[in-house]
Amino acid sequence: MADHSKVGKEYPAVTWEVERGKIRELVRAIGDFDPVYVDRNVAVKEGYKDCPASPTFLTVPMMWSSSMPGVITDLAINFMMVLHGEEEYEYYQEIYPGDVITATPRVAAIEEKINKSGKKMDMVTIELLYLNQRGEKVARARSLLVERK
Amino acid sequence: MAKQIYFEDINVGTEMPKLVKSPLVKLQHVIYAGASGDFNPLHVDDDFAKAVGMKDGVIAHGMLIMGFVGQAITSWISKKDLKRFGVRFAGMTRPGNSITVTGKVIEKKTHGGLNLITCEVTAVDETGDVKVTGSFDAALPTKG
Repeated sequence: MADHSKVGKEYPAVTWEVERGKIRELVRAIGDFDPVYVDRNVAVKEGYKDCPASPTFLTVPMMWSSSMPGVITDLAINFMMVLHGEEEYEYYQEIYPGDVITATPRVAAIEEKINKSGKKMDMVTIELLYLNQRGEKVARARSLLVERK
Repeated sequence: MAKQIYFEDINVGTEMPKLVKSPLVKLQHVIYAGASGDFNPLHVDDDFAKAVGMKDGVIAHGMLIMGFVGQAITSWISKKDLKRFGVRFAGMTRPGNSITVTGKVIEKKTHGGLNLITCEVTAVDETGDVKVTGSFDAALPTKG
């Protein structure tokens, strides 16, 4: 079960250089063929500086950096029993190719709940505030992990 | 590509254009795993998925379905106008499921100089089984 003593703990920062190809690869995997994500001219015409990252792009630095698996291990959560319950992003500005974004994962909350079938679950909330290479806030991400017990 | 939507175009009850996705295939799980970096075998390895209790094998990444919802949103509202987007993963999605995303505006207000809308979104499969529920906020320009 999740280690409740670790509420408030911060983990090593995730730093990620945003590549144009990764923005394209993610939208292609989703099957989103909006040219704004892949064609700089279209993006500029629509008022962007370059192709913006798509709304769920921030999953990429979390997963490819292995940050989230590391957090799950440190919290003593059973990998076999964990489900992704919720995900939320607040967007402060666009993320563009060449940006270097950094975030510090923090355990915001761990709560025990009982589901409809009467089984205990731990609800673990991880929050990250992403800054860019200029130190500006770009986005906040909140993940709720559900560990069945 | 989203055509610009203005605050005046939207009212409480306005529906987001529906997005209907092709049925999921296992290959898409593999492509999404590579793109996102989420290599949990639950999404790509039937033997593993069965061993952890998924009797029909692999399930799709929840974040892939959130990606479909994001696609539906930014096909309607410009990405740059999207200020918050959150979902709850309500059900598991399997190969063969065809996801439809719908949404409806539930709030419209002017606050702190911004023209804000809040919209509820839902992703269901071909039987109507709910996979994702959520909402987003957007700050829209005005025509004036």
